[in-house]
Amino acid sequence: MNLTGVGLGAAVVIGVCTALLGLVLPSRARPAAVGVGTALTGAAGVLAGAAALAGRSFTVALPGVLPLSGVEFALDALGGLFVAVTGAVAVAASVFAIGYARSHGLGARGVQVVFPLFVLAMLLVPAAASVGTLLVCWELMALTSLLLVLAEHRQRREVAAAGRWYAVMTHLGFLAILTGLLLFAAHATDDSFTALRQAAQQLPPGVGGAVFVATLIGFGSKAGVVPLHAWLPRAHPEAPSHVSALMSAAMVNLGVYGIIRVGFDLLGFSMLGAGARWWWLLVLGLGAVSAVYGILQAAMSTDLKRLLGYSTTENMGLVLVGLGAAGLFASLGQPVLAGLALGAALLHVLNHAAFKSLLFLAAGSVLHATGTRDLDALGGLRTAMPVTTGLFGLGALGASALPPGTAFVSEWLLLQALIHGLPSAGGASTLTGTGTSTAMAIAMPVAVAAIALSAGLAVATFVKAFGVGFLAKPRSAQAERAHESPPSMLAGMGLAAIACIALALLPTTVLPALSSAVAAAGTAAVGSHPAEAGLITLRLAGVAGVLSPLSLAVALLLGALLTAGLARAVTARRQRGGALGPGGGRRVARLWDCGGGPLSARMEYTATSFAEPLQRVFDDVVAPETDVDVDHHVESRYLVRAVEYRRRVPDRIERRLYQPILDGVAWWGRVGRGVASGSVHRYLGYGFYTVCAALLLLALAR
Amino acid sequence: MLGLWRKIRRTGRVAEPAPPRPVAGPLAAAVGLGGSVQIRHVDAGSCNGCEVEIGSAFGPMYDAERYGARLVASPRHADALLVTGVVTRNMAEPLRRTFEAVPAPKLVVAVGDCARNCGVFAGAYGVVGAVGDIVPVDVEIAGCPPRPEAIVEGLRKLTGR
Repeated sequence: MNLTGVGLGAAVVIGVCTALLGLVLPSRARPAAVGVGTALTGAAGVLAGAAALAGRSFTVALPGVLPLSGVEFALDALGGLFVAVTGAVAVAASVFAIGYARSHGLGARGVQVVFPLFVLAMLLVPAAASVGTLLVCWELMALTSLLLVLAEHRQRREVAAAGRWYAVMTHLGFLAILTGLLLFAAHATDDSFTALRQAAQQLPPGVGGAVFVATLIGFGSKAGVVPLHAWLPRAHPEAPSHVSALMSAAMVNLGVYGIIRVGFDLLGFSMLGAGARWWWLLVLGLGAVSAVYGILQAAMSTDLKRLLGYSTTENMGLVLVGLGAAGLFASLGQPVLAGLALGAALLHVLNHAAFKSLLFLAAGSVLHATGTRDLDALGGLRTAMPVTTGLFGLGALGASALPPGTAFVSEWLLLQALIHGLPSAGGASTLTGTGTSTAMAIAMPVAVAAIALSAGLAVATFVKAFGVGFLAKPRSAQAERAHESPPSMLAGMGLAAIACIALALLPTTVLPALSSAVAAAGTAAVGSHPAEAGLITLRLAGVAGVLSPLSLAVALLLGALLTAGLARAVTARRQRGGALGPGGGRRVARLWDCGGGPLSARMEYTATSFAEPLQRVFDDVVAPETDVDVDHHVESRYLVRAVEYRRRVPDRIERRLYQPILDGVAWWGRVGRGVASGSVHRYLGYGFYTVCAALLLLALAR
Repeated sequence: MLGLWRKIRRTGRVAEPAPPRPVAGPLAAAVGLGGSVQIRHVDAGSCNGCEVEIGSAFGPMYDAERYGARLVASPRHADALLVTGVVTRNMAEPLRRTFEAVPAPKLVVAVGDCARNCGVFAGAYGVVGAVGDIVPVDVEIAGCPPRPEAIVEGLRKLTGR
């Protein structure tokens, strides 16, 4: 048993013990004990993941644990990356949870017992090495997360609705994964991943495609990819904030993990002909649509946590663009670019986990202080909660893909991969036929455009979230009464912030780990070294491209200092000149408010008004609904008593796609009501006739 | 666009010939401005007669801009205030604040009889006083309303051109 095994074993033991502690401890000591225990579980996970990334893979088979299939775990570098990310997010979230649970009535036994089990299930999913184990861990993760989403169902009605959506969608996703993997396993000797890898060599192409599409649906729904994202903007806001952070920064990643594991590793590239290219075009297309649609909805949203949830959809879309591009390059025989794209996708998973856990925890801190998530009612938190404001600002910078931010490096890598892919697609046309290269020549620029558009919209979205939510004046009494959060919550956010800064300035430190994960994911078709890392400079391997995030940040800082210094020097010179009277060149003046009374909070930009121009630009896409009701006085139609204006930006895909299905189900239920009248005789009759029909069918079919 | 060009070409230059340059040069307080005066107009309670005349003073006929005076959109950008009308109760505080918002050195021009001494509205309900009662006035332009030539002449005292 090596270090990886010790780490994983420790995670299991500590996680289970923490759950038991949560069961027996009195409610006063419970949150602290569970928080510390879960943080230790996460830390053990980080240890196991880091050891696996360092090359110490670990395998264990426990045939007696689960009947029929047994349990089999194996942690390689690819799984290790996801285990490490999950563990790290769990550490930050559970430190945060100590303070958060105490104040939000989340100290109830059920929630505290399930929380460590949820972390544990997420740590075990990437370590599973057989279909049975994977499905059990997956279902455990889905159930525990569902229970956590429902934690506050007594306080708010929406929680129950969100839980229902989440339960149905996650189980439909589970069904899709189950179908796909069982279909795959039917062609193999047993259900272990080793057997599946061998079976992939002789898999008929149709079956391979079916397996891929089914698992893509299942894992994609977990990753919150459009059009299977409907649960995400519901469940993420309604869950307690530390759980939202875990779900958004760690759980959705496992959907990506599943796609990589099945698409790159298990199905492999040995069997990939031209036919399999549409898989990756599909992934690329879904990713591009998710990225743009997700961030567009986020830009329209006025609920802070819903906005972050939609932003998760966007970022998972970007990751999927990377995966799709990697698959396309690999199937075209471009291992260098495939490695680069896959590395960029994995780095984005890492970065997204860092900044999104920070943002969700900061949103939790805001919720803790004000009791509202509505951006239109927030504002003015800068004076009351300076630390939270600073940390949310850091996270917002990270999420907006601007140079010193966290997401910038990975999006830059992704764009490099896509842009370098363009000429190669033309070059490859002689080898692979013109049809594919045409598809590539269309797909690559569209993907680049989607990434660029989503990056621009992300800036607008997070400027809105930060500017409207934290700056200016408080827009409501709750925001006025805001207070800074307790130290444990600040510590949890601080941990996430350190990860953000480290990933933003020194992404080179994680590149070796990333390279080994990429190598573990792909066969020879994917180049194993996406980029060479100096200490400071990032140099792409095989294609031209150099980036140094640290020097970029330093240059930006110097530029800012220089500008500020120059401005100061100019005013000081004027002051010495003395031409401007006793005050000199600088004076303190009242804020110009057109001479009218004091500026009130009602004159501020709200989240709605900030997004209004964008909504106007994308009017055809988001299709907002506006209602204007005019009430007249009874005496005369010419005297208006009140004008009421309502605006909603509904999720259009959800309405078009899900509403007919929901209506159909409701119709089926109404029709069924007539058949199920409640009479026992009738039910016995149904059984009798069904058996008779089956017998008849059997007799005729023979 | 083409129509506009044609109109400009056909109309040609309509500005009146410039009267002779003021011999006294700019006011002592306006010397630091160097002949370029940015002006913010404030309506403190005018009947809008003065506004019409100010409009024509800055129109193509009298073209006050050729002497260095220019209307701007915010007191923050301005060197001088052009105040019209009696100061009504509701505009007294905004006028004071607007004056405070102008960066020093600053000047105030009272345009019209109402701004100088309340004119026909003297003693009326809601009138606080003339502009000089609220903020220090540097130049007064008489008339009800003053002719554009008078306004231009008053502004040229500031620019000295």
